[in-house]
This record gives sequence, C-alpha cells and structure tokens, in this order.
Amino acid sequence: MSSRPSTTPRPRAELVHGAIARIRLEHFTAFEYLNLTPSPGINVFVGANGTGKTHLMKVAYAACDSAKKKERFADKLTRVFMPAEGKIGRLAKRQRGSTRALAEVKIGGSKVRTNFSSTTTRPQDAQENPPKNAPNVSSVYIPVKEMLANAPGFRSLYAERAIHFEEVYSDLLDRAYLPLQRGAPDAERGRLLNRLRRELGGSILVQDEEFYWNGGRQGKLEFTLLAEGLRKLGLLWLLIQNGVLLEGSVLFWDEPEANLNPTLLAPLVGILLELQRLGVQVFIATHDYVLLKQLDLQKRNDDEVRYHALHRTVDDQLACNSADAYLDIDPNAINEAFGAIYDSEMERSLQRPKRP
Amino acid sequence: MSMSLREGELQVSLPPSVQGRKFDDQTHGLSHCGMKAVDWIIDLPDRVYFVEVKDLDASGATRHADRTKYLNELRAGGKDSDLIAKFRDSFIYQWACGATNKPIIYLVVIACQALDEAMLLHRADELRRKLPSGRPRVWTRAIAKDVLVFNETTWNEQFADMPMERWLSADNA
Repeated sequence: MSSRPSTTPRPRAELVHGAIARIRLEHFTAFEYLNLTPSPGINVFVGANGTGKTHLMKVAYAACDSAKKKERFADKLTRVFMPAEGKIGRLAKRQRGSTRALAEVKIGGSKVRTNFSSTTTRPQDAQENPPKNAPNVSSVYIPVKEMLANAPGFRSLYAERAIHFEEVYSDLLDRAYLPLQRGAPDAERGRLLNRLRRELGGSILVQDEEFYWNGGRQGKLEFTLLAEGLRKLGLLWLLIQNGVLLEGSVLFWDEPEANLNPTLLAPLVGILLELQRLGVQVFIATHDYVLLKQLDLQKRNDDEVRYHALHRTVDDQLACNSADAYLDIDPNAINEAFGAIYDSEMERSLQRPKRP
Repeated sequence: MSMSLREGELQVSLPPSVQGRKFDDQTHGLSHCGMKAVDWIIDLPDRVYFVEVKDLDASGATRHADRTKYLNELRAGGKDSDLIAKFRDSFIYQWACGATNKPIIYLVVIACQALDEAMLLHRADELRRKLPSGRPRVWTRAIAKDVLVFNETTWNEQFADMPMERWLSADNA
C-alpha cells in the first residue's frame, strides 16, 4: 500500500505503526480461510447477510482492545462474541470432527494471535503467546444498536453480568463516558468538531451517566428524546472531543446507516473521510448504496479507501475480494439489488420478456 | 433495408421493420423560434420512442472538467428542464404533424459508465415527475407513456435488436 499523502505536514510513521495491517482467519466462525490486507485509511465491508462482515470487525476490534489492555486475545474474543456458556471452541468453524481455529491480527509490527480447538471449552486453554511490544492502539467499536440512550445504569449491571450483552456495548459506553478533554482541540480536530456541531445543531453533555443534547434555545434534551440518527453523530462528537478518536486509533462501525436518514449520510461520510485524513483507521460494514456512493463521490485522490466484498463461492465458502475503486467492487450485492429493480422497471415499461 | 441513426460517436442500428429518423437536424426547421428537439424518433408498430443522447464517454471530445460539470448538474437535477423541454417541444411538433397517435416513450441515453443503475432509476423517477408521465383526471391520454434512462451498457442489455455502438473517427481512434 502506498504511504499517506505527502502534502500532510505531520509524519505518518506513527500512524502506519498503529494501523491494522492484516487479518488472518482459519476455521474461525463461518470462515474456512481468510487473509485480508486492509487499507490504513477507510475499509468498507460489503456483502449479503451472513457473509461475516461483523465477525471480521469484531475479531480485529478484540485484537486491538486485548493488546491495549494486555489481556489474552481469546478471553476478549469470548466476551465480544459470547458463544454459549463461554465455550470458545464454539467459535471454530462447524464441521464434522474436531478442527483448530486460528485468529491473527497484525497491528503495526506485532501479531495478536490465538488458536484453539473446536473442543476447547475455556478461553484460557487457547494457545497464544503475548505479542512482543504489544501495540497500544486506541480503538472503538460502534455496534448497530444505539446504546447511549439506554446507558444510565447499564455499566454497573453489565459489571455484575446481570445482562446478556456482548462486551462491545459496555466498552463503547466506557469510551463515551471518558471525560472531555480540557483546552482547545488542535486545528484539525476543532474543524471536525465544529462540523459535527453544525450537523447536530448543538453539542453533547454527560451528567450522572445520562447523555444530553444541548441545543441552545431549546435547552437540554435527554438522548431518549433525540432522534436516533442525531445520537450517532453525538457519539462521534464525544469520541473525537474526548480523544478516543485520535491519529493512530481505529474506528469500527457496524452499519452506520442504521436509523439514519439518507440525507445525513453525506455529512457522515465527509466526517469519516476527515477522520481518515487525521490518521484514524476506519472499518465499516454497510448494506447502504447511498453511503457507498457518497464515499465514492466525496473521496479525494489522496484518500485511502478500500472495499472488501465478502461473498460465498460456488462451494459455499466465504471469500473476500478487495478493491480500491468503487466500480471494482465484485460482487457488489447492493448494486445487484438495484440492477434487479432496473430490470423489473424496464420489463414493466417496455413490456419485454425478462432477461435470461 | 435496415437503417442506423448516429449522434456524435454513437450509432444505433435499427431492425429492418423499424423506421427511425434523426430529428434535431436542419429538417426540423424551427430552432429559430427556440423549439428544442430530441435527437432521434424511432417508430415501432405499437409505440414511438423519442430518444435523447448525451455522450459523456466520447473520446477526447468532452474535456474532463466539462464532463464532471455535466454529471454534477445531472445528479442535482439541473439538466432535467432541458431534457423535458426537448421532449415537450418534440411532442408539439409531432402533434402538429398529426403523428402522436401511438404511445410515446422517452428514452434518455447518458453514455457514461460512471452512472450506475441506481442513479439511472433515480433520474428516470425525477423526469417522470416533471414531464409528467402521469396525467390529471381531465386528460384523456398521457403525453408520455413513460421515461426511461440508460447508459450505453444498459441500452444494449435492453435493446438487443437495436444495438448501440461507438464509432471512432480516424482523428480520435
């Protein structure tokens, strides 16, 4: 992969060190074998339901977070995927006889890696060596379900394991509750925060574990009363303001389009591109044409965007084709859906037989 | 004998049973009064196609900046009024000729591979609304049965019997 644009004044070596450089899976969940090289900028996973987009992001997130917290990768995987009864062996690909699963994520120069058998029950029995120079990469995973509105009390309940939620939810709240950074942000972050504030029509406050939108004349509005799309932008504002999303960090976002009006996708994509220019590595999984197209339209030549098309091969194995250009996404399940509508419309209007 | 229609580098070949003509040339004769015209009129036994062609993939003919400007305007709906004026004026002309008895379908070809099917569908919906292809209750017939938007590829997928080809001259081949 080429280095980042030379026009950017700050040195990029630190960023490349922090970026996820490879994701390798063997017999892991639905994957037989996968070796994926992400872009240091924005990575977009596309594919039909059940092609492993969320699994890939969770593996990479678990690797980042366990390395940062100096925990075992297998323990984090178990809490992020929540296999029944905490049996990590259930994350091995289901097939006849026992099999060994491998998950390996290369972060900077280090490999975060674990392997276990389908018969392994306890995550501590998975084989792994702590990576040398464990990478200290800040990461955040935003799941499809919005959590901030239901945040008060959630973390204490979660800590008691009184609720059945994957750990990505409590991790996200931990990051959202980090105190806001004092003092003025640097110029680039300041611009980004102002842009978000314009879209939000206000800023975000946290009081007694409750999130509020603060919109001037309208006063404070608790998140439960705020449109879900605005909550998402509010979460981004918090994560940039409190320093979670800084140069060298990694953002994972599962279906950013969920509950978001398509008109908000243009500014959201603009913000993701800006984050990438600031040195944040971004992973998103999407089913949305508008998001994909906005990315293609707004992307500058020096932006780093790579699309990963997950699909099932003729022998029903998961595979991934990566491409750096929108038109090279193959297969593109989203475009195929529009192609089918186009064909139907032509058939209706021209009253011609369907194409074979 | 089969005939073909040409607009710039793009040429469509018609099957022997189909008549077509280039409409926006000098024989139209009314450009002096500001009447606009579609590029081709293709006459089938049961319908008439009004065809407007914009070639953004032309070799060297369209500067990159002009192409980008046109595409941005097209996406924003800025070209809709021109496309609609061409249809309406052509309809009036044909009405005055007594040649509007068959249903008319407006086919707009934007030869640009960057326009995918989602964008073609959206443009067609907008043109339908503005033309309009529907009709008020007091109308006894529609002025257009439908509007469809194509790129070169989708035209050839839909009209295998009227293939569209690109002809390069010696200067730009």
